[in-house]
Amino acid sequence: MASSSSSGLTFKLHPLVIVNISDHYTRVKSQLSLPPSLTSTSSAATSNNNNNNSNGGENNQNPPPRVYGCVIGVQRGRTVEIFNSFELIYDPSTRSLDRSFLEKKQELYKKVFPHFYVLGWYSTGSDAQESDMHFHKALMDINESPLYVLLNPAINPAQKDLPVTIYESELHVIDGVPQLIFVRSSYTIETVEAERISVDHVAHLKPSGGSAATQLAAQLTGIHSAIKMLNSRIRVLHQYLVGMQKGICPFLVIVVQIKFSWNYVNI
Amino acid sequence: MDSAIAQKTWELENNILAVEAPDPSSDFIFYYDEVAQAMSLKAKPWGNDPHFFKRVKISALALLKMVIHARTGGPIEVMGLMQGKTGGDAIIVMDAFALPVEGTETRVNAQADAYEYMVDYSQTNKQAGRLENVVGWYHSHPGYGCWLSGIDVSTQMLNQQFQEPFLAVVIDPTRTVSAGKVDIGAFRTYPEGYKPTDDPISEYQTIPLNKIEDFGVHCKQYYALNITYFKSSLDCHLLDLLWNKYWVNTLSSSPLLGNGDYVAGQLSDLAEKLEQAENHLTHSRIGPLGTSRKKEESHLGKITRDSSKITVEQAHGLMSQVIKDILFNSVRQSK
Repeated sequence: MASSSSSGLTFKLHPLVIVNISDHYTRVKSQLSLPPSLTSTSSAATSNNNNNNSNGGENNQNPPPRVYGCVIGVQRGRTVEIFNSFELIYDPSTRSLDRSFLEKKQELYKKVFPHFYVLGWYSTGSDAQESDMHFHKALMDINESPLYVLLNPAINPAQKDLPVTIYESELHVIDGVPQLIFVRSSYTIETVEAERISVDHVAHLKPSGGSAATQLAAQLTGIHSAIKMLNSRIRVLHQYLVGMQKGICPFLVIVVQIKFSWNYVNI
Repeated sequence: MDSAIAQKTWELENNILAVEAPDPSSDFIFYYDEVAQAMSLKAKPWGNDPHFFKRVKISALALLKMVIHARTGGPIEVMGLMQGKTGGDAIIVMDAFALPVEGTETRVNAQADAYEYMVDYSQTNKQAGRLENVVGWYHSHPGYGCWLSGIDVSTQMLNQQFQEPFLAVVIDPTRTVSAGKVDIGAFRTYPEGYKPTDDPISEYQTIPLNKIEDFGVHCKQYYALNITYFKSSLDCHLLDLLWNKYWVNTLSSSPLLGNGDYVAGQLSDLAEKLEQAENHLTHSRIGPLGTSRKKEESHLGKITRDSSKITVEQAHGLMSQVIKDILFNSVRQSK
C-alpha cells in the first residue's frame, strides 16, 4: 500500500507535534490502567485489566489504545509545515467522527493561532490500515488532500529512526477501479530556535543557571555532540565510498543533501 | 578516567539529579486520580501554610508549548493557562494552552475576557480525555527577565484567594534564545501582610532600568518555587530519536544573528545604568555613604555582573561560529 509519493510536496514536521501525540497516547494508556498504589485502596476506579504484578501498566491484556487527532499548520506553495496538533473524538467501531467537537476545537485554535489551518490527522499504530481510509475521507471535506501522520508508540531500543511516517492519499487505478490509497512521503524536522532549545533542555536536562563556566560547558557539550553526529555520518559515507572504490559495494549515485543554513559562510 | 571525574564534578556543582530512568511505571504520573484530587481539594493543606508548595514539576509537553507560544508573541507579552494537579507539596503541570489576549497594562481585566475561552477549551479537553483542571497561569516577559510585576502580583494574589491551588509562571523567550537555555520562573505570592520568616536570596538576574523599580517594590511579596521537568518513557524514546534528526539544526543555529535587537537593547540599558551609578557616586561624595546592607551588592557590582553576562553570551555565539568556520571553511589535507 505504501509506495513513495509523487506529489512533489515537501513536508516539515515540528517536534511539538511529536511530543503532543506521544502525550495524548500516554495519557489515554495510563487512564486505562491503574497505578499499583491504587489497586487495593481505590474504589472509584473501574478497570478491566489484571494488575497482579507491580508493573501493571505494561501487562495489559488489551492491545494498546489508538488515539486520533488533527494536525494543523500552514502550506506555502509546495512546502507543508506542520506546527501543532489537537485531539479528536472518533469511534472506530461505528466509524463516526464527532464533527461538532472538531469544529469547536478548530474555532478555539483559530483564535490563538490565526494562521494555522487543518492539514490532516494523526493516529498511533504500527502501520496504516484500510480502516484509516474512512477517517481520511471524512477529513476530505475540510482539506481536499489531507495528510496522515502515523506514530508507532512501541518502544524499540534498537530503533534508529523516528517511528513517525507521513502518508498522503493518491488516486490509483487498481484492477480497473480508481481507489484512494496511502503513499508514504518523506519529511524533515523543522524547529524554531526556541523550540530547539526547550527540546534540548528536556531531552538532556541541561542545568539552568550556574556560573559562567558551567554555561560554557553546557554550550560546548551541545555543539560537541552535534559534531560527533556529523563525524559519524561522514565516516559512514566515507566507508561506503572506499568500498565503492574497491569494487565491493555497488555503484550508487549518492545524493548528499547537506542542508545547512548560510550562516556558515564567513561571518 | 579524567573525563569521568570531570563529569562527576560538573554534576555535583550543578546539583544535577540523575534522571530517573524512565521505565513504564514512571508514566503513572500521567494518571489522573479524580478521587484523590477531589479529596485534596477539600482538605486544602495549603490554606494554613503560605509556603506550602515548594516544588513544581512541568511536563515536557507543557514546557514546549509555553516556550513556543511565548516566542511567537515576539516583543508582546502573551499569556495562557496551565492544567495539572497537585501531588504533596508539588504542583504538577501536565499541559498548557494559550489564551487569545494580548498583553496590556490592565491585565486583570483581560482575564475576564479570556474566561469564555477557558471554559470552552476546558470542556473540549475533558471530552477528549484530558481530565486535569486549570492549576495556574503563565505569561511572558520578553527580554526583561522572570519575575512578577506589580500587576502580576495583584492578579496572582486574587487568584490565590479564589482559585487555589494556583501557580504563576513567567517565561522570557528572548533570553531563552539568546542564552541558549530556557529562562523560566515559577512563583506564588504571600497573602497580604504576611512576612516571610527567612529571606531567601534568589538568584541574581539583570533587570532593565525601566523595570527595576517595579521589580524592587514587589520582590518580597512572592517566592520562587523549584522547577523540575518530567517526561514519559515514550517521550524519552522519541526525543532520543529526534536528536538524530535535529543535530543539524543545533549546528546551524546562530544566536548572534537572531537576537541583534535584544543585545543592542541590553547594551544601551547597561550604559544607562553606568550613568546612573556615576551620578549616584558624585552626589554622595559629601559625607560618608550610609552603611550598605551586607546582602546587597553595590551598584557597580551589579553592573559588572550584567556586563559579564552579555559578554559571555556573545562569546558563546562567536565560539560556535569559529568552530563551524574551522570545521567547514578551512581545507586541510588529513594525515
